[in-house]
Amino acid sequence: MSNSSSVVKQNFIHRLARDYSPLVLIMVAVFIAIFVIGAATAPNFLTVLNIKTILRDAAIVGIMAIGLTFVTLSGNFFLLSMKETAALSIIAFATSMSAGYGFELSFLFTMVIAMAAGAIQGLLIGLGGNPIVVTLGAAGLFFGISSWWSDNLVVSFRRPHGAEWLGSGSFLGLPNITIAFIIIAIFAEFVLRRTSFGRQVYLVGSNRAAGRATGHENLSMAIKVCIIASVCSAFVAIAFSAQVSSAHVNYFSSSFGSSGDMTIMVIATVMVGGNSIMGGYGSSLRSSIGAVFISTVDNMMVLHGYNSGPRVLAVGLMIVFSIMVFALVQRGSRSVE
Amino acid sequence: MFNKVKNWISDNPDLSFAILLSICVYAYFGLTNELFPTHRTGFAIMERFAVLGLVGLALTLCIIAGEIDLSIGSNAALAAVITVRFTDSLGAPSALLIALLVSTSIGAIQGYFIAYLRVRAIVLTVGTLMLLRGVALFAAEEKTVMLTDFRVPDFISTKMLWYFSPASLLVILMFIIVGLFMGYTRFGREIYAIGGARKEAIAAGISLKRPMIIVFAISGLCAGLGGGIIGLRSGTAQALGLQYVLLAGTVAAFIGGVSIMGGKGGVIGAAIGTLTVNFLNTGLVFNVTPAFMVQLYLGILLIVVIMFQTGSRVFDENQRRKQILADADNLAKQLTKRKQFLKERPG
Repeated sequence: MSNSSSVVKQNFIHRLARDYSPLVLIMVAVFIAIFVIGAATAPNFLTVLNIKTILRDAAIVGIMAIGLTFVTLSGNFFLLSMKETAALSIIAFATSMSAGYGFELSFLFTMVIAMAAGAIQGLLIGLGGNPIVVTLGAAGLFFGISSWWSDNLVVSFRRPHGAEWLGSGSFLGLPNITIAFIIIAIFAEFVLRRTSFGRQVYLVGSNRAAGRATGHENLSMAIKVCIIASVCSAFVAIAFSAQVSSAHVNYFSSSFGSSGDMTIMVIATVMVGGNSIMGGYGSSLRSSIGAVFISTVDNMMVLHGYNSGPRVLAVGLMIVFSIMVFALVQRGSRSVE
Repeated sequence: MFNKVKNWISDNPDLSFAILLSICVYAYFGLTNELFPTHRTGFAIMERFAVLGLVGLALTLCIIAGEIDLSIGSNAALAAVITVRFTDSLGAPSALLIALLVSTSIGAIQGYFIAYLRVRAIVLTVGTLMLLRGVALFAAEEKTVMLTDFRVPDFISTKMLWYFSPASLLVILMFIIVGLFMGYTRFGREIYAIGGARKEAIAAGISLKRPMIIVFAISGLCAGLGGGIIGLRSGTAQALGLQYVLLAGTVAAFIGGVSIMGGKGGVIGAAIGTLTVNFLNTGLVFNVTPAFMVQLYLGILLIVVIMFQTGSRVFDENQRRKQILADADNLAKQLTKRKQFLKERPG
């Protein structure tokens, strides 16, 4: 038996040496070292309250990132309109709430609008439009519509509005948005691994020709994944709006959260998690871990007293780093090609 | 004469569409607003052209090479911050030179890594978008940087020949140089080659590195010059500003006739596309439209152009598929005929 375990070990090292160049291994090691040292030296890092804060920050970006993972896995790169879809949803929700339609109806209304927004983008992408350009245009369109709808003003609604439980409630000591993040993460992972739809996402993403040959056109797939992404960003928008009981188109713009632009943060999360941007490789679990990781690093830097400049720089470095590692790994290993 | 025009139109359908569109937009605003067709408005349009034209040019080149540079706004913002910060101590020309050096080398490095890692540019540039924002925040120390001496902004927007300023003349010169470079040098033709038919170009012995580095270096240079001009003209710069140029520049590039598949379009198209966007922009401002409506119109315009392009491509593909099927049918028929002929042949 000991013999077989050593064979396994040898195989593992052999595979590691074959698939990953020393450069990649050194890069990853340095990265982990910096992370551990930073965490060890940050004051108040390992307190329950701080970990809760990290999870809460991760939830907002993470839910959107899980939605975007479906798009990325299906080989449609990413949507540059995540932030604007959220802006459109938040305005729709707040307008409906302030008109007194109640939480359930407003929720439904917002979701329908988000689905329509996703379906339009998905249709254009599926017909062969470049995802980046289509969603860049859609971003301008949605932002314009939501500014026009709200007259560029803050739309607020009165408490109690029946949505506090989503915005600021908590369960077992965890904020409800974090619980929603965990549930969505598990559900998304289940869908991707165990349902035929999930497997089709991988199929279309990794080999479009094979997908077409087996009857899974990118058209219907693009519409479905874009709707999923839009619904996820609408959910975040609703939770956010329920917390502050107001809405403005700029809530998700540059001043939001971790000092970057929300769309880019979401894309960063997907990339840092280690999903292949070309599609077909990755999982929503990776995106969730990416979200927690980014928010941990951000939190650590805040505790060390860094301003927004270094923090944005750190996120940028993480993205570029993950791209480079990914590309180098892909070049090194013959199995992926 | 008429025949010549007709031939030219059928040779350059995209360009003539762009010209037609720009004339239509100009005519619409010219007819609805009497202040629009004056040389003062023309000057304002050219001033906008000085910045947006450069971004449109940069994106046009990138799309010709089959890639998109998403980091262009961040690069421009970084250049603006550097220019404004150093103008007081070093003087405007050397500050601008430093900014251009920085932005061009950033572009070249991006191009090198895109070719070396063999990743798509959108993947890498979405990372550098964030990275450069961080660098710009660093450079600006997270404040809005400002000039104290306002002689430079005054000089850079002096009116010359009714329509032009030093800034817009510089940009026009840049357009001419890049146009000549793209049209008449080997390096320029290589950029077209790797955009339109990358595999074939590589098979023919063009290395991916050189054209990529050149394209992204020019893109960085244009972004830097645009950022520098806007920083010097307004006398202020923000690290997180200038993100809107990406949408406007992309719209300009697509109106100018580039195809997302690469290898199509040119500098003249970029100029006309940007002018169209500027007509729209300025005209909407003249008709007292809020700024966000401009974004809405630009978004619609981009989606319409994309729909048009995609639709024509799908149509072409369908036609080709039908043609192939018909050819195959014909071939099958001929084969059966021949078989029958062989069977019936005695002996």
